Amino acid sequence: METRSFLSLEDTNREELKDILDLAAAFANGRLRDPLISRTVCLAFFEASTRTAVSFELAARRSGAHVITLSEKGSAISKGESLIDTVVTLDSLGADAIVLRHPAAGAAALASRHTTAPIINAGDGCGQHPTQALLDLYALSDALGGFEELAGRRVAIVGDILHSRVARSVIPGFVRAGIEVSLVAPRTLLPLDTEAWGLPVLSSVDEAMEWGADVLYMLRLQKERMTGARVPSVAEYSRFYGVAQHHLGNGVLVMHPGPVNRGVEISGEVVLDASSLISDQVASGVCVRSAVLALSTGAVQRAAA
Amino acid sequence: MIRDSAATPELVIRRAHVLDPSTGLDSILDVRISSDKILEIGEGLRGTREVDADGLHLFPGFVDVHAHWRTPGREDEETIESGSAAAAAGGFTGVVMMPNTDPIVDRPVVVSGLVRRVDLESRVRARVSAALHVGLAGARLTEMRLLKEAGAFCVSDDGLGTASAGVLRNGMLYARSAGLPVILHCEDHTLATGVVHDGVAGSLVGLPGSPASAEDTATATALVLAAETGAKVHITHVSTALSVALVGFFRDGADVTADTTPHHLTLTDELVSTLEGLYRVNPPLRPDGDRCGVEAALRDGVLDFVATDHAPHASEEKELPMEEAAPGFLGHETAFAALYTDLVLGGRLSLARLVEAMSCAPGRWVGEGGSLGVGAVADLTLVDLSERWAVDRDALISRSSNSPYLGRALSGRVVTTIVGGELIHDTTGAKFGVRA
Repeated sequence: METRSFLSLEDTNREELKDILDLAAAFANGRLRDPLISRTVCLAFFEASTRTAVSFELAARRSGAHVITLSEKGSAISKGESLIDTVVTLDSLGADAIVLRHPAAGAAALASRHTTAPIINAGDGCGQHPTQALLDLYALSDALGGFEELAGRRVAIVGDILHSRVARSVIPGFVRAGIEVSLVAPRTLLPLDTEAWGLPVLSSVDEAMEWGADVLYMLRLQKERMTGARVPSVAEYSRFYGVAQHHLGNGVLVMHPGPVNRGVEISGEVVLDASSLISDQVASGVCVRSAVLALSTGAVQRAAA
Repeated sequence: MIRDSAATPELVIRRAHVLDPSTGLDSILDVRISSDKILEIGEGLRGTREVDADGLHLFPGFVDVHAHWRTPGREDEETIESGSAAAAAGGFTGVVMMPNTDPIVDRPVVVSGLVRRVDLESRVRARVSAALHVGLAGARLTEMRLLKEAGAFCVSDDGLGTASAGVLRNGMLYARSAGLPVILHCEDHTLATGVVHDGVAGSLVGLPGSPASAEDTATATALVLAAETGAKVHITHVSTALSVALVGFFRDGADVTADTTPHHLTLTDELVSTLEGLYRVNPPLRPDGDRCGVEAALRDGVLDFVATDHAPHASEEKELPMEEAAPGFLGHETAFAALYTDLVLGGRLSLARLVEAMSCAPGRWVGEGGSLGVGAVADLTLVDLSERWAVDRDALISRSSNSPYLGRALSGRVVTTIVGGELIHDTTGAKFGVRA
């Protein structure tokens, strides 16, 4: 069976995206029974995670796989074992897939060059987080009435784009799905060359609304960046780069990869508003990750999806 | 500002020698002002209210992008009222107020308070510069977008500079997003540990020196970062030949402008030998080689304009040994005359370039004034180039008297200053309808 590491969305075209999401829907509808039975999925988390770790574990278990979880604490990672040595060990022990979360960009690609088991990137530094972008596309197409409805929609990605692996996967994923993407951030939170992606750059959520955003995709502002040399204050950040109740009401949807800083990038009442897709995003994680595991291990062939 | 444009009656300034490099005007003309604008420029204009300016020169009002009016915090040294009156007496119609007051202008509420007070108390168009970083401490950026909403015109680190290049770079990036120009005071405090220029004059009298490199290295850093970030950056009080060359190198590749002061153009560190605290200033007075380089750069346009760094100090802060004195000079009231006397009459700078450097170029930088075109705001300065006057401590309008030109006789005196069509400084009597 052909296996394939899943590292980023940069080489994934529109058809492939649609195939993965269709397969995820099949998982969600219970049409696929235990495709990963008797296989072993290893979760190697070199960095703390709640929703990604739990949803990968659920995705693997519900597909019938054995799951071994390796976290930073209580494994040889805390003894200083290197990334490559750790994944080679897991590979030698017979893992059928290694789900890797790591604080350094490029870690997943590096690991994949040393294993026969496919590596699934569960987030590497400021690099990539491709399953997040897929579950976002799944939740959004669900909300809009289907994958075909994504084309031509306008999504403003708001916040710390410079340090965001989510943005680095969401941007190519959304663009390939036919979505028009704009970026909203101060220059301290953007690449020096703001044209890096060739996307329009806007200066506030208000401006994104004028631009005609159908979706405000809010990024998390790391606590250590809230007051200092890049962002002057929470008051200023939330005033220009936060979504508040007054932005809602005309059909705009709000997305956020979590965890949310209430009162910073998103006000408390917005999190709970009907326009918020935040819990749909989390809920989509399991079936999307089941689909990614099934395709990467070769348990399900793409054409069959 | 103390002004009511609707109530400003028509005024005709007659037979002035109108000199405005921005429009190319350079001849005897009449100028009609109405409703705070220049309505008509020509010959034979008459009106019910006239100023006979025969023998006088008429320039676009001077604009000073660097002033310390000490408000809030040191109103004993200067207030908005006294600072603006001193500015008006020097022919200035527009000013930018620096943020190193007490409290420092680093919060929106301080900016909005100042903007309101300027509206009530200033005779000239005064713009508020907010601080680039909180407390001018060089660590955390200020809330520049909220400061702009509160009325800040630009941000600056003036008085202290920014020690960390990383903070400066982020400050430039953020200011660019906020749409605010940045005025930078370039000084490396690890080098600037003295009180005078580190040179022969200071060495001979035994005063600790700050080397030119303190300014030059900081200027180089600022220019490199300006080029990289694309921020709109203005380098203020450039005082060395090398810093001038650096500005020249970066001018085309960055959104950069620069100024120097009247005192760095007319005085040198020879004055250090007096050991008088009055002559302490930052950046320090430099040797004549630097002064010549700065003068040439102003002539050639490498330095865009002149700004005074008007820095009033109470006498108890200046009548001290050099090492204990506060740095800074008054600037508004003597700027034009000092430059006219030393540079123009000395044959080293054309009058047109001086007007360009005091009016047109800084006016363009602030986006208002600096031009005598029909339809432009009526911000004008009438000068008697033939009048010779002594800089007298008791005659200064500023609340302070720390002028380095005290006791000197200067040529060229501002006789009338008009802001938005209103006479805010006048020695001709025309204010009362009397024809001079």
